Amino acid sequence: MASVAEVRAAVDAALQQVTEGQAAIQAAREKLGEAQQSLAAALDGSANDAVGAAHSALSQADQQLEECLGATLMAVEQAQTYTATL
Amino acid sequence: MSLLQELGAQLRAASDELPTGLVSVAMERLRSATELLNWVRQTSVDPIGVPQLGNATEHAEHAAAALRLAQDAIAAYLAALGLAADAAAPPDRDWKAGLGKEDEQPAPAEQQEHKPPPERLGPWWRERVEKLTGEAPPPAQEGGAQQERSATTAELLRRVAAGVRSGDRARLGRDLHGVNAATGLGLSAVSSPVLQRLAGDLLGHEPGPEDLPRLRTAAGGRVKSLLPGTPPAVLDTLLARICRTPPAKGEPAHPADSAVTASVLTGVLLARLGRDPETLDPSAPEPLRPRGVDA
Repeated sequence: MASVAEVRAAVDAALQQVTEGQAAIQAAREKLGEAQQSLAAALDGSANDAVGAAHSALSQADQQLEECLGATLMAVEQAQTYTATL
Repeated sequence: MSLLQELGAQLRAASDELPTGLVSVAMERLRSATELLNWVRQTSVDPIGVPQLGNATEHAEHAAAALRLAQDAIAAYLAALGLAADAAAPPDRDWKAGLGKEDEQPAPAEQQEHKPPPERLGPWWRERVEKLTGEAPPPAQEGGAQQERSATTAELLRRVAAGVRSGDRARLGRDLHGVNAATGLGLSAVSSPVLQRLAGDLLGHEPGPEDLPRLRTAAGGRVKSLLPGTPPAVLDTLLARICRTPPAKGEPAHPADSAVTASVLTGVLLARLGRDPETLDPSAPEPLRPRGVDA
């Protein structure tokens, strides 16, 4: 039979996965920022449509990662509030 | 090297270094967390953050799609410059992104400052492993504590695959009993992209709904013999995910069942492909993708 300690520990285990996911997202954003800088320097002066599409896709990726991180923070807060009531 | 070639090489390097692997790791961790919380909240009206995690996963999926778009756009630009050879896609290594050694993985900031609280799910994990494998946990050490070998989830996956290859259920049980619950539960996240890739290699094409019976025939019997206690629905759900088809509706599976079964299925698919478990090491050479291996 499950105990409060086990439910709490199961939520903690899930939050550990979320924390690892957040770390991966943060690392991804850093690498993405570096890639954006390097591409901006290399492609400076290009008016090719594909270059515009690449820049736009990278900005969109970064925005999605930022929103992803925000959603995980809310999830963690809600899960922690729940475990506090146990 | 001409100026143009230099520019091409620079663009190719930037494209290859886009963090598709990290985003893939994040997605799998979030899916694994959602699975665990879904199981915890089965009978609770409190969402415990599950809808927010669903949103987060969706954003990560959109980010992954945007990165692929960026890579396609860079390839199109290289082709427009006449550097078609440089525009060829690099070998896909994202499926191994979650299998690196611990020091190669992004470290959560909190863990760098203080250690996480002690594991409290040991008995829960071992009970479940015993039910799945039919192998009892090793006797407790002096002081009543179970000995847990320090292993990362990626190492555990390789050990499980080695146990599957040798067909040694006792060894499989020992390896699974020998880790803590957090490491074991992580098997769901790390094995998911690996399963997708191995199934694709076995079939000779990306798995689709029509491949479900073929994969079930190829792996079902071996998984069942190594995990006699796994509910059939768990394997069916994993195979349905691989084949991108909705799994049958029912109660969420126990997270330990999904994690352990996914790792054994990984070992079975590796064995069917005749590959060594060490090929899961990210530093191992990329295996050649066979065309249409008979499953």
